[in-house]
Amino acid sequence: MSAVTEKSITIALAGNPNSGKTTVFNNLTGTRQKVGNWPGVTVEKKEGTIRGFGHELVIVDLPGTYSLTPYSIEEIVARDFVLNESPDVVVDIIDASNLERSLYLAVQLREINCKVVFVLNMADLARRRGIKIDAQKLSELLDVPVVFTVGNKKEGMENLLKTAVELAESETPIVVNRRVRYSADIEDAIGKLQAEIQEHTTAAFPYHARWTAIKLLENDEVIRERVLEKLENGSRRILDTAERLRKQLTDQFNDEPEILLTDERFGFIAGIVKEVLTTTTQQRVDISRNIDLVLTNRFFGFPIFILFIWAMFQLTFTVGDYPKAWIESGVGLLSASLNAALSDSLFKELLLDGIIAGVGSVVVFLPNILLLFFCIALFEDTGYMARAAFLMDRVMHLIGLHGKSFIPMLMGFGCSVPAIMASRTLESEKDRILTILITPFMSCSARLPIYIVLAGTFFAAKAGTVIFSIYLLGIVMAVVSGRLFRSTLLRGQDAPFVMELPPYRIPMLKSLMIHMWDRGKMFLKKMGGVILVGSIVVWSLSAFPRNIEYSRDYDGQIHSISDYFEREIVAADPQRQKELAANLEAELSVLLAAKKAEIAEKSYMGRIGKGIEPVFAPIGIDWRGSIALMTGFVAKEIVVSTLGILYAVESRSAEALQHALKNSGMTVLSALSMMVFVLLYLPCLATVTTIRKETNSFKWTAFSIAYSTGIAWLAAFFVYQGGLLLGLG
Amino acid sequence: MKQIHQQEKEQFKQLFLQEKLDNFEDRYRILDVFLQIENHVTLEEFIGVLKDKGVDFEESFVKQTLDLMCYFGFAQQNRFNNGLVRYEHRHLGQHHDHMICIKCDRILEFEDSDMEALQIRISGRHGFHILQHKMELYGLCSQCFPKQQASISLVMAKQGQRLIIREFTGGTTTRVRLSAMGLRVGDEIEVITNSSKGQVVIAADRTRFALGRGLAEKIQVEAVQ
Repeated sequence: MSAVTEKSITIALAGNPNSGKTTVFNNLTGTRQKVGNWPGVTVEKKEGTIRGFGHELVIVDLPGTYSLTPYSIEEIVARDFVLNESPDVVVDIIDASNLERSLYLAVQLREINCKVVFVLNMADLARRRGIKIDAQKLSELLDVPVVFTVGNKKEGMENLLKTAVELAESETPIVVNRRVRYSADIEDAIGKLQAEIQEHTTAAFPYHARWTAIKLLENDEVIRERVLEKLENGSRRILDTAERLRKQLTDQFNDEPEILLTDERFGFIAGIVKEVLTTTTQQRVDISRNIDLVLTNRFFGFPIFILFIWAMFQLTFTVGDYPKAWIESGVGLLSASLNAALSDSLFKELLLDGIIAGVGSVVVFLPNILLLFFCIALFEDTGYMARAAFLMDRVMHLIGLHGKSFIPMLMGFGCSVPAIMASRTLESEKDRILTILITPFMSCSARLPIYIVLAGTFFAAKAGTVIFSIYLLGIVMAVVSGRLFRSTLLRGQDAPFVMELPPYRIPMLKSLMIHMWDRGKMFLKKMGGVILVGSIVVWSLSAFPRNIEYSRDYDGQIHSISDYFEREIVAADPQRQKELAANLEAELSVLLAAKKAEIAEKSYMGRIGKGIEPVFAPIGIDWRGSIALMTGFVAKEIVVSTLGILYAVESRSAEALQHALKNSGMTVLSALSMMVFVLLYLPCLATVTTIRKETNSFKWTAFSIAYSTGIAWLAAFFVYQGGLLLGLG
Repeated sequence: MKQIHQQEKEQFKQLFLQEKLDNFEDRYRILDVFLQIENHVTLEEFIGVLKDKGVDFEESFVKQTLDLMCYFGFAQQNRFNNGLVRYEHRHLGQHHDHMICIKCDRILEFEDSDMEALQIRISGRHGFHILQHKMELYGLCSQCFPKQQASISLVMAKQGQRLIIREFTGGTTTRVRLSAMGLRVGDEIEVITNSSKGQVVIAADRTRFALGRGLAEKIQVEAVQ
């Protein structure tokens, strides 16, 4: 093979949802894209480049789609890539155990002008079910290369690449026969429309005439618009002809043409399946079906689901507490030894009060985060995610959404960014925007440290329950807000809900670990990046200016008091000496605390904090809390860092943040109020950016920010003032 | 019945002779055959019956006679819902009501004395004197009705039932979409879960689907025999 004429070959992976495209993609490219056992894991096309067979191979993983008639954004992404980017080869990943349905997309791919390779994936599973597919015959019948693979065992990958590259290199034109032949009347209509299109077509028109004709007969909106756009002059004629032919066919067959064409394709497929498929020993026990009998049961399903969610949080908090304590003591040890080793300097302050106090107070939550993502990965990999969507359908109906919207919401417990992306699987635009608006109320993992710090400090043994209630409050607020939006801003019917429930699979430990570790890595990267920088900024603002004007002469007072007591002590008897020493100690600490408080208040940070304090005072949060909440816009973890720095500065000791908080005058009520505020207020920068991108609207983004912050303030106000009224302060 | 026919023939003879109509004997033979038929016939069907009885006349003559009979009130034309003109004989002083099957176009006659009495009472209340009345009930006959009943909406199905998809009553988009996902008319499915609110999980072969209520309502199914 000559590497001289190196040409880049684009290979697109297409196929039904959950047919294993991403697994194949990961195998081919050696990457670790997220794989999950539910339809809609991949909502965006992903690219990976490898070298092989003397070429640069660009592999593109597309979102799953059932047909070339798209209904949701991810399906449009898939179709548009195949149609508009003209990849050199389209590899259609077929779930071998579900041949008939997979062929529906496959025969449609044969209808457009592209080179196709069929991959019969999960071949082992099909064999176990007693399904035998004659690949040779399938290849002959449709005139396409066919290869077998087993994605999760990496079998057949080399062969797949080789076949794809050979096909891309081959000069033979794309075979046009062996396509679906429709019945005479339909072929006649296609022919007429095709002629009309060919007459008016221009070089700018990207699609094949026959395929365009078929799609116009099927009343495909996107293609109609494309025709109007690209074929200005002829478009009216073409669309009129299409409309006329559609009417004619409808009259003749008493059914819409799109149904006729679909039926005929399936007829064609039935013929192929009969030829190539033999089922032998039917293994009748369908384990997944039996599991579904229990997990989707009308009585047990929902309680089991709640139990799972509860177990997830319990595991996160209780089990996570042990490794968290280890890391905590590690951080404490580091801090103490640095304190002893370094002599007083600005650098030492930065290191101890800034970086270690800031980053150290967040990094201890790594185990909790890992566990939470482990649980979410468990939901995703087993296939339970889709069942959760089904079970929540009833609840989601209260909002006028359907169960599919719950998948983004559940993912929101992890991180809002991928969660908002996941809303792409929703077909109705209004449903999608609604889901995007309420997903941030699902408490993301970055807020978890804040709850653990606050609840752990003020609620002790009841912390787990309090945090679980905060999460529930998030769900309730999501539902209430959704209901509100549905009846005001985003009126509309909920779209029909249909979702395939994938078979249950035993998750591979390796895959779970990868999920978890990827998340852990992201978390640690954040620590080394935005949290580190944030900590330094927060510390600097709170440590400067150095030369402030004190309201009174602290040093002088300290001096005179010390002098006074020292003289007294010398003069007193031993019994009285001890008493005096204690008094001195007490008076000095009062003065020192007052001095430090003044330093903090007169620092830049203190001035900013005092400035915004009036806004937060009604909800029981002091200026330090206000600052912490403000910094949380960058990333929610910074809230804890900021608290760590601001309180550490004051107490200047190695004691944990929890102690400092308790001594700072914060009450149980203001802690609760702060948690509620954190739960609901504006999402982090990354999420806001994602909302902007996914809604494609500044208006909705601004609305989301304003609404969530407003609701957060109101809810916290009710909690705090209500609590005060009830005498809980 | 025989007696009534005899009576009608006499009335007919009297009227025709009064009006001095021609070909009385021929017309009388047509009437005779017509009165023997108890169902509703089209012109073509009636000519066929006449031929079977050995009575052979021009079509126009037969039509003219039938029209005359209608004119005098011995017969009446009826256009049921499929639009073809059918003739039936009209028992003067007597009548019957019809039930018309919209599926197979079968026509059933019925009489009910309670109904008649009720009609007289009602019209009496309005000071109305009934000369004639006509009642047509449209619906499904006993042969067509069971087919309708057996097909139910998927929301009504019970857990564990094995069903065959008979029809999608939703829009075209939904139907095409479900087809692409692997749910088509004629497919056998099993109900795994049917929550009381209408959310349904079904299994088709080894694929399972969760359906919302709105969609499940639009799927007509029939129990597997």
